[in-house]
Amino acid sequence: MNKKLLFPLLLLGAGIVFIVISLLNPGGDLGGLDIKIQKSSLIMPAAHKVYSNPQALNGQYYLFKALITNNGNKTLERVSMKYRVPGYIEWTELGTLGKMIPGQSAVVACYPSFDEKITGKTTESMEKAEIVVEWAGASENDFLEESFNFKILNRNDFAYTNVPADEIMSWGDMFGNSSLIACFVTPHDPIVKYYTQVVQEKVMKGESSGISGTAEGAVKFLLSLYEATRMSHMVYSSTKAVPQSLDDVSTLIQHVRLPREVISGNTGLCIELSTLYASVLSSVGLNPVIFFIPGHAYPGVRVNGQYFAIESTGIGGEGMGSIASAEDAFKHGMKSLEEFVKAMQAGDPRYSLVDINEVNAMGITSMNLEDNDFLRKKVDEIAMKFSAGEQGRVNVSAPSAGGGGGGGGNGNRASGTLTFSTPSGWQTYHSPAPDVPILTSQVVSPDQAVSISVYDIPSNSSQNAMQLVSQYFSQNNMQLEYQINGGRVTGNTYYPSYGTSFKWIARIAPVQGGYRLIAVGADSRYYDQYSGVINTVYKSIK
Amino acid sequence: MKTILTIIIVLFSMLVLQAQELLKPKMEMKIDSIGNANIKVSMTMNANQWQMWSQNYGNNPSLIKRNMEKELPGYFLDDFKLDKNDMDRSFSFTFKAYGVCAVDKKGTWIVSTEQKNPDLTKLTDHKYMMVSTDVANGMQETSIIEFPESAKNIEQTKDAFDKTQFEFEMKEMRSGINWFLWIGVFLAAGGGGWAAFVSIADKRAKNTQPF
Repeated sequence: MNKKLLFPLLLLGAGIVFIVISLLNPGGDLGGLDIKIQKSSLIMPAAHKVYSNPQALNGQYYLFKALITNNGNKTLERVSMKYRVPGYIEWTELGTLGKMIPGQSAVVACYPSFDEKITGKTTESMEKAEIVVEWAGASENDFLEESFNFKILNRNDFAYTNVPADEIMSWGDMFGNSSLIACFVTPHDPIVKYYTQVVQEKVMKGESSGISGTAEGAVKFLLSLYEATRMSHMVYSSTKAVPQSLDDVSTLIQHVRLPREVISGNTGLCIELSTLYASVLSSVGLNPVIFFIPGHAYPGVRVNGQYFAIESTGIGGEGMGSIASAEDAFKHGMKSLEEFVKAMQAGDPRYSLVDINEVNAMGITSMNLEDNDFLRKKVDEIAMKFSAGEQGRVNVSAPSAGGGGGGGGNGNRASGTLTFSTPSGWQTYHSPAPDVPILTSQVVSPDQAVSISVYDIPSNSSQNAMQLVSQYFSQNNMQLEYQINGGRVTGNTYYPSYGTSFKWIARIAPVQGGYRLIAVGADSRYYDQYSGVINTVYKSIK
Repeated sequence: MKTILTIIIVLFSMLVLQAQELLKPKMEMKIDSIGNANIKVSMTMNANQWQMWSQNYGNNPSLIKRNMEKELPGYFLDDFKLDKNDMDRSFSFTFKAYGVCAVDKKGTWIVSTEQKNPDLTKLTDHKYMMVSTDVANGMQETSIIEFPESAKNIEQTKDAFDKTQFEFEMKEMRSGINWFLWIGVFLAAGGGGWAAFVSIADKRAKNTQPF
């Protein structure tokens, strides 16, 4: 062979080798695809429907989310990710990205669909999630693989937070999962429905008609439910169930019995009694609420924007001293509610509530439970206790809610001689401004644009009453302008610090101990827009 | 961008009860040339609001970080920084959000507002302003969205759920050249050409030798 051809042929050979390599490796620089994983440390089986729903609470409950970054120098096409949890979820695609240019990042979140059988899990276990990323033209050897371990709790475990105990710094850290308590509220459970039916029949004697519409009916049902737990000799277990302080790590994961288990076991912690009440209240169409305070939880109901609460643990137990009557439990609940509202308005993060219907609407729903003959028989046994205790049964009547700042109203009317009708869905705040004690309550429209203020003023004339209101306002950097025309008052309240004003119309009338002023209005800029509802409320003041 | 209001609510939720007028935070989102974004939220408060905010969030930035990560599952967040100015009762909270933009099969960049008919105003070719009001939470937020200079033909379109999104074109900053292939072609062509040249030259030399 001609020696002169040796070097050119070597170059030709090297070129062919490069071409072959590039054809065998169409992905180009494949070492550049990076993945970072943010994982959930635990999964609560009771909340499995929440994890599977990307819309639930804005999708914040995922199993993991992955950040994929193309650190190579070639655009990758049809990048897809799949995952599996052996024993629970088979290989599942998480979607495909059209293109990933060099340097680009993409986020893929995983909302796992666990089978319903996970709700039968009675032990905690560590499981492994496996992830594979692939793209067009990549061979199996090029696929990116990752895995991580996570914990699946048992079906009764409720974790108040996903934040590790040694990282908890605030109440917000500690109660991050409180909304998920709604997963333990099971109004559709056939056993809860059956129990509700028995309570309505044996305790309420069928007086449940129309309970959904009025505060009086809702309170009556709340009292009847308490009476039912008392008559069945249900026992408050009294062990801690809600974290009391930031270093209270022992209750961060709490074993919460399902309402059907509370009924059949005839015993419950405060949180368990709260979920039982919420389940029964929800199953009859009421709006249940669970109030969380440090170390405790108690149930309540929301009717037309007003809250009512009861101390469900008043049932105590045979070995725990006194057992409160339904009326006393209700009074105690309302007193706690009053303190709750004050603390919440002061911004105390330790006080929070979970409105069950509201969080249900955000996708926080309970597990499906099947009917069970054994549990039905248990309910039948309880029904017999109701019948046996009938003679000694207290007459359940709906007491009127505490007046003034007593934490509630009697339905949709404020107490006193001057009252008004509250539009449906409006929120009531009692003693909303501690610096203005004569402001006894305030009712606010759902969009917070219109408010009704009730002032109880110790005064001997309407003129003096308005002057006193004016004094309080000026002490709080507000300026009041008003005109009195008989019992009708119109005015404007100015907030110089904000450069805004509040326009209102009111009625004033003598009541026991002074004068009552009921004013309804809105920000001057929006007054005309809301004049219809303002006039309707004003006309209802009588 | 799902969540511009969500970001704000995370930062200010405790202030709502104290608000006598709408809270007016400002958010600036600057998208870079590879589809990530630098986000800055800032606001000045009155004394009450500042006290409450400091009590709940200002002294616990990790809570803001955790809440933010929880509320923005669609993004990967990093580089959090909180700057407080107690004298002015103001703060700015900055972080980086990865994966804000997606690229479809045609190579079109997409960033969603996750809102139907948002109140959008074009400020410049690469800058848009969005005003979002959440009366229930007492907030009116002004958001500035800034696209990279390399973004071209920015258009507002609707996604399948009728939510407004931005679509734009952007050149890849790094080339997608397959170096192995081109080096191979170059070497093969060079080697082949050289060999051919040598062969032809040899033949000519033989043909031109004198008898």
